[in-house]
Amino acid sequence: MPDVNITVDGKKLAVPAGTLLIEACKSVGIEVPSFCYYPGLSLQGACRMCLVKIEKMPKLQTACTTVVTEGMVVSTEIDEVRQARKAMLELLLANHPLDCPVCDAGGECELQDMTFSYGAAESKLIDIKNHKDEQQWSPVVYFDRPRCIMCYRCVRICGEGMDVWALGTANRGSAQLIMPNHSDYLECEECGMCIDICPVGALTSGAYRYKTRPWEMKHVGTVCTHCADGCKTTLGVRRSPTGMQIVRGDNRDKSGINGDFLCIKGRYAFDFASHDHRIQQPLIRREGRHVPASYDQAYEHIALRLKEIREQHGGHAIGVIGSTRTSNEESYLLQKFARLLLGTNNIDHHRTADFPSFAGALARKKDATASMRDVFNAPAILLIGNDPTEQHPLLAWQIRNNVRLHRARLYVVNSSPIKLRRQAASFTQIPAGSEPQLAAFLAGDDSAANALASGEITREALAALRDKLRGEPNLIIIFGSELRGSSIDSLVRFGAAISGAKFVCLGDYANSRGAADMGLYPDLLPGYVPVGSGARFHEEWGAPVPTEPGMNLLQMVDAAKAGRLKALYIVGANPVARYNLDPFALSKTFIVAHDMFLTETALLAEVILPAANAYEKSGTFTNTCGDLQLLKKAGDITTVKSDFEMLLRVADRLGFDLRQLVPFRQAERADLGQSRGAQSGEADRHAIWLEAHGLEPKLSPFDPIAMLDEIQRLVPGYDVSRVELLAGNDQHTSIEAGVASSIASQPELILPANDTLFTSGTLGRYSRTLNSVIENPRRAPADKADREVVV
Amino acid sequence: MAVIKDIAAIAKGMSITLKEMFSPTVVENYPDGPGPLKGAKFQERFRGVHVLQRDENGLEKCVACFLCAAACPSNCIYIEAAENTTEQRISGAERYAQVYNIDYNRCIFCGYCVEACPTDAITHGHGFEIASLNATSLVYRKEQMLAPLPAHLGSNAVFNQAETETGTPAVRS
Repeated sequence: MPDVNITVDGKKLAVPAGTLLIEACKSVGIEVPSFCYYPGLSLQGACRMCLVKIEKMPKLQTACTTVVTEGMVVSTEIDEVRQARKAMLELLLANHPLDCPVCDAGGECELQDMTFSYGAAESKLIDIKNHKDEQQWSPVVYFDRPRCIMCYRCVRICGEGMDVWALGTANRGSAQLIMPNHSDYLECEECGMCIDICPVGALTSGAYRYKTRPWEMKHVGTVCTHCADGCKTTLGVRRSPTGMQIVRGDNRDKSGINGDFLCIKGRYAFDFASHDHRIQQPLIRREGRHVPASYDQAYEHIALRLKEIREQHGGHAIGVIGSTRTSNEESYLLQKFARLLLGTNNIDHHRTADFPSFAGALARKKDATASMRDVFNAPAILLIGNDPTEQHPLLAWQIRNNVRLHRARLYVVNSSPIKLRRQAASFTQIPAGSEPQLAAFLAGDDSAANALASGEITREALAALRDKLRGEPNLIIIFGSELRGSSIDSLVRFGAAISGAKFVCLGDYANSRGAADMGLYPDLLPGYVPVGSGARFHEEWGAPVPTEPGMNLLQMVDAAKAGRLKALYIVGANPVARYNLDPFALSKTFIVAHDMFLTETALLAEVILPAANAYEKSGTFTNTCGDLQLLKKAGDITTVKSDFEMLLRVADRLGFDLRQLVPFRQAERADLGQSRGAQSGEADRHAIWLEAHGLEPKLSPFDPIAMLDEIQRLVPGYDVSRVELLAGNDQHTSIEAGVASSIASQPELILPANDTLFTSGTLGRYSRTLNSVIENPRRAPADKADREVVV
Repeated sequence: MAVIKDIAAIAKGMSITLKEMFSPTVVENYPDGPGPLKGAKFQERFRGVHVLQRDENGLEKCVACFLCAAACPSNCIYIEAAENTTEQRISGAERYAQVYNIDYNRCIFCGYCVEACPTDAITHGHGFEIASLNATSLVYRKEQMLAPLPAHLGSNAVFNQAETETGTPAVRS
């Protein structure tokens, strides 16, 4: 669009036509205060804080609703404007209780900031302020009516952003108030976006209320450990007798791939970390009971038994099960531990999507995967299967807002009427379980349409849909775990005919894509390299590893039943509950479990090691789109250790040279910052500088960055910018299979998590907030009929 | 003449001595004086051990806003906040201080906390005999600094203004 020339406070500037005046001012560093204006939401013009003087207009105008026009002359710093701002603040404060010392927003309140900047701290009003008692709208949302300044941000984010429409307004004038859809309680997705976007403390969070104050916490931006979307959540951490306690989660740091968005799990479900049932010390089973032991005793016990079994029965009598919630470095270390040290390829994890087939189908295709950011900007999206609103809340947010803000065309094909159909340009309901036929049909197999056509969905309609999709350049194709094996091949063939088409394969759990990429498979090394052709890895690892594919998870259980599997090493997984295994099948096996809680699986273990969760360690996570992000440690908790450290300690006890497992070394010019200012900021920048020059100090085997080094060298697609990654930005990795054709996918092993918004595998059971929302008798999803079908 | 000059000087000196001998003593008789202060005297503004005040209903004035901790230059105030419930009401507002510790190893008695307090909950008392050979005993808990409940609110202890002002620990070990 052509540029428009305007003058603001004497500064001449050219901005694209259609720009809002408030944004134009912001672009040259002139701040126009506002409460109700929020980028990405519809315009409201409610708060009147952004009044400015425009020449030739008789009265002051709101900058947030005025579009720039040619020759406009604007003043923002004249007395008239200043007086107007001050008067507006005075009016906003007329009924605002001055309970800042108690209010949760105190210290990060926009009204406080504005009052400091623009005055009006004293009031001319002598009447008694209107008061209304605080209300609890849901287990996580509280509303303090008198603090509300009626900016409508919550109403708009809930409706426009979340498509939930649970909030509205009632009454007029000074009696006007925000009201939930059920007059005194909310029926919604409990995302808490309304709380985060509230400029004052009117909406407060049930989890954080009156616990502490913003400046008392340390704020750590890390990756959420629940679903596979990889939102950045900022954890508010404070001191506690156990080392640290997480008291709140929000998206204060909006630099993440999620921008403004965070769902209930990212915002509230950090509380499992301080659950009473957490294992606090290693447990060893003696005479049928788990008794506390020291770490040394536990490592010794594990090493002794593993050594014995390896020597007597060989490596193939040992199995390893990895986790979908441990960091990439830990998954990589675990498979290296299994292959190099235990000498076995019996390694698997809880598979939630067919990533190997996806990698195989995309072999030798460049830039064929979409990042989470791409989903927000794509001109067209095809969604097959899955229900992102429940299982991938961020993906749903990206799709929804792409449609709303960019007019993207969304095509939904699903076996149930999922909520995203409300944004869809076309919704096609197909019989349950017929997604593979759809993939075949899209790829050109017309006979497959027989299984799809029913009722309103005729063969012609399907053909029309296919033709339409073929004419959508830069289409992003998103599919759930309904598509596996050859169906993914078909879909990729269909996409190959569309220029610029990209794919997203949806898995569940925070790092299931990472677990797959890091080779937690009995037949695949990291980067989907078949175990038979991993010469590169053998060379790097400096020792031969078994080249025969090992047993998968179910085969391992069968072998254990038959007495052939003597030991099972389980890291952060609960296969007994997930796969509904018979606990007695494992009764003859020596089991080691790293876990946070005494889960069904951990109970069977002979040695249980207390594990740290993702909020208590550093490393990297890969989300389901393949975006690599840095995990930042919120703090250390006494009594638990990271899986990385515990694995290495066991390896050490087994008499293994740790240098071979983790490529740490004496750094030549390592300067850990001691010679510089001790300010943490400088230490951070220093670390980044060292990284950029390949000089990073890797003096400790417990440093996961040393492992990341090897991952970036050996795993195809992971050679992303390290500086960007360490600076906290997401980096898109590509997925490439070493040898496409040789990947034998085992679709029968894929077990989708089928989590809803309020569940999160085994971990979710230990979150008080999630449980309180589930048990809330007044909660019934707005679109209930839709949701019952999906699960 | 020199002799007269010397005698005059001695007389002048002795006159001051004799005058002071019969005027009341300025030196405080601490620690052998009477009363709980043992003879010590204070200006009103003396900044001694803190006292956490109560309101007219006997509720704690502190609402755990953390502003004292934020203002403290020696970082000696530690607070844990909690929410009042209808069953258990501790302070007048929604929040109260579950834990309120002042580390007198670090406190420099600057009074910034008192200035920062929006509810006039924390004040400086006149307690000063806090030296100890055991550093850990210098971390005062809320219970040690809290003003006693007024007698009319059911406190068995007789309301003792002097003790409140001294800020001597209400709970002695």
